[in-house]
Amino acid sequence: MSVVVRTVTRLLVPLALIFGAYVIMHGHLTPGGGFQGGAVLASVVALLIVAFGAERLRRRQTSLTSVEDLGALMFVVLAFVGIGSTFFYNALAGARGLFGGTEAGSLWAGGTVPLMNWAVGLKVMAGLGSIVLLMALFGGDDDR
Amino acid sequence: MRWLRVGALLVVFGLLIAAAGWMRPYGEPVRTDMDAYFLERTPEEVVVTNVVTAVVFDYRGFDTLGEATVLFTAVMAVALILRRWRR
Amino acid sequence: MTALTVLQVANLVLIVAGAVLTVWLRDLLASVVALAAMSLLLALQFYLLQAPDVAIAEAGIGAALTTAIFVLALRKTRRKEEEE
Repeated sequence: MSVVVRTVTRLLVPLALIFGAYVIMHGHLTPGGGFQGGAVLASVVALLIVAFGAERLRRRQTSLTSVEDLGALMFVVLAFVGIGSTFFYNALAGARGLFGGTEAGSLWAGGTVPLMNWAVGLKVMAGLGSIVLLMALFGGDDDR
Repeated sequence: MRWLRVGALLVVFGLLIAAAGWMRPYGEPVRTDMDAYFLERTPEEVVVTNVVTAVVFDYRGFDTLGEATVLFTAVMAVALILRRWRR
Repeated sequence: MTALTVLQVANLVLIVAGAVLTVWLRDLLASVVALAAMSLLLALQFYLLQAPDVAIAEAGIGAALTTAIFVLALRKTRRKEEEE
């Protein structure tokens, strides 16, 4: 792509990364959540692929799909945390342990919800990013 | 034939506009039982201020699991079809 | 009619204009850009209807990812639409 696109991408990528991480991190306090933040992060990956070509990321295919699997696994494991009561029971909420704050509105409250936000965020980012990467690499990368 | 298509399109468009006028007023649902339940219980039970996230990841976790499965399957299918596998 | 209603109706008109432009344009790259603009306006509409969650998702997926996928697809095919 042209110099204009590459320069704007260089400027925009850090901001979008911070915004996506913020949306995931504060998913249990403000509008947004894992899926939305992951979509923002995936759009960063798509922007990089469109601006700089997919060839540089060819070696990253496996790590991206691995991160996706890791997110899915983390999500299911977190769902099993409350298996003592039911599947998906939030056993950590209000328990004063990890993310067990007792005050709604605190960053360190919510039990499994913030952790699941991170799991789903990583999963969506890696999943959508690898879809775009695989589509860009298909049939050879012809960056013009 | 072309005018028939345009006419059908106009009829559908008019019906949609009429339906928009016939819609319930915004922000006044018929039943509010579940809304009130979630809004009251979420700060105590899940200790979270974003009720939507509480519903998605706690009360209706199974739906999110299904959504995650859909995305996982899509990525797997794309990787299977488009990836260049070494023989 | 409050100011919010006026804004919403104007936004809806712009969304329909963007959709019509997407179909009507012959240059497919311009068509994709029109689709992205329509997506962004749709995100604004979701925000005006007090659904910020959906607005962020729509802005991320509709305006950014779909556009990227279409641009990548256009790179591998032709840019101009052919006459029937």
